[in-house]
Amino acid sequence: MSDGSLTGSHRSLVTGHWSRLSRLAALAVALFFFPWQGGAQNPGEFLLDFSESELRMILQHGPWPPPASRDPSNRASGNAVAIAFGEKLFFEPRLSAKGSIACGTCHVPERGWTDRRKLGVGLVEVDRNTPTVQNVRTHRWFGWDGSSDNLWSQSIRPLLDGREMGMTERQVAEVVRNDADLACRYEKAFGTRPPADDEAVLVGVGKALAAFQETLVSGRTPFDAFRDALEKGDLKAAARYPQDAQKGLRIFAGRGNCSLCHFGPNFTHGEFHEIGIPVFKKAGGVDWGRYEGIKRLRANRFNLLGSFNDDPARADGTSTRHVALVPQTFEQFKVPTLRNIALTAPYMHNGHLSTLPDVVRHYSEIDPTLLHMAHLYFDPLVPEAVPTDTLLKPLKLTSIEISYVVAFLMTLTDSETGKPRKPLPAAACR
Amino acid sequence: MRIALKICTLLMGAIMALSAAAQYCVADLAGGRKVESERYVLSYRTKPEKVAVSQHFAVEMAVCPKAGQPAPEGVRVDGFMPEHNHGMNYKAVVKPAGGGRYDAAGLMFHMPGRWDFIFEVRAAGKTDRMTATLMLQ
Repeated sequence: MSDGSLTGSHRSLVTGHWSRLSRLAALAVALFFFPWQGGAQNPGEFLLDFSESELRMILQHGPWPPPASRDPSNRASGNAVAIAFGEKLFFEPRLSAKGSIACGTCHVPERGWTDRRKLGVGLVEVDRNTPTVQNVRTHRWFGWDGSSDNLWSQSIRPLLDGREMGMTERQVAEVVRNDADLACRYEKAFGTRPPADDEAVLVGVGKALAAFQETLVSGRTPFDAFRDALEKGDLKAAARYPQDAQKGLRIFAGRGNCSLCHFGPNFTHGEFHEIGIPVFKKAGGVDWGRYEGIKRLRANRFNLLGSFNDDPARADGTSTRHVALVPQTFEQFKVPTLRNIALTAPYMHNGHLSTLPDVVRHYSEIDPTLLHMAHLYFDPLVPEAVPTDTLLKPLKLTSIEISYVVAFLMTLTDSETGKPRKPLPAAACR
Repeated sequence: MRIALKICTLLMGAIMALSAAAQYCVADLAGGRKVESERYVLSYRTKPEKVAVSQHFAVEMAVCPKAGQPAPEGVRVDGFMPEHNHGMNYKAVVKPAGGGRYDAAGLMFHMPGRWDFIFEVRAAGKTDRMTATLMLQ
């Protein structure tokens, strides 16, 4: 127990030992000896005695936001004119076959850049849930199956998908060429009028869309304030983080093993796992996830190994060169970010789980024998058993523990994203 | 004269063979770690030196046959998480760099925790397997 006057001594205890003990060890010692348990003198203040390993896991979830960086594969990346062009295109319904659907129809800003539907709806309903486009600059793979290795390629995909926006290359190019404002913006972004080559215009549209989406970075959250306070050794500030959230964080970063996959500042290591969500499509058949995604990636002329990559060194192509197409990738889907997770229900690749308590309960009660099983029955090409990932085991959380984890997840939400977005600037390009 | 020439040729051949063997046996890579099997000593180091979660890295290897053992015909490196029973999502490509050295590119350990490097050296119809553990945080 302590009062406000002890804050300084806490801080000096932590910082004074920096040179002799590791920073984390010193912080863990400080937390152990001076637990903040609230009480009459410290209403609303509480700080768990996180261990050194728990602190290590907590601190790796920041700092946030990450430093801005350009995408070397996209010459429009970071270019303010291209970003404005991309924003205009993102909300342009003429980029769909019926003139009724824009990127922003499914990626709705006020809904965490998702649509809050179980399955996305373009020209028709599709097989997967609409993921957020916030924080996409930090990704290595795009889409639930990672079939794109760059954001501009991923931005082209729905334009040409018959179920989503249903356009052809020619139609996309003509929308830009035939509209004075869009053609002007194209020229300012890329230095030439939209050329006669439809494919070149399409790629330009994808790169402008990507340049815009790179700017969609979620804001700081209560968790970020807590994490940074711990890093600074400011225990009084850290003690303002809600008690239930701290208890949930301890499960998340500890025995829940959630941080192993939801790793890093964006709460995803960017790779793929099978987590026991049904993979049968509503219209029939099985969604093979990453396995098909790798095949599509390799066949994609817009991948980072191709000629549309603006980086002649293809330095970002390492993952695409080395990714392994193996049976374990069946039914794997990308580990999503958890930032602003409270705004993006329902959850999982097919919206199978409606609420955050449902998600936590799924991991609490998961049946490991159901993992990596479906293909044994449905794909005769892979008759042998696939090695089973043994990470996922039922956590057997109590209902109060589930509520703690949910309380923690709620603190990953910023205060800005859900608000109405400013309208697009009306000024025409000259 | 002819006999002397033959002896000289044989001697030079022997010296070259010995020097080649000596080259193979320089299995020390600065800052590297060593593992060994019945037939080989393998030294390795990662580039960058500190492996980061979910970031690609490369591995330099130097393979040294023990006395009387054949030169390696092929070298492989892989990664595995024994506590999770899964490996990497990427396939490393190994290229010989000369003098018993090999460069592997494209590795990635995508989760924190215990990872085992698995090295395989193939020669004369047999494969030697060596492992080394890395605790990744």
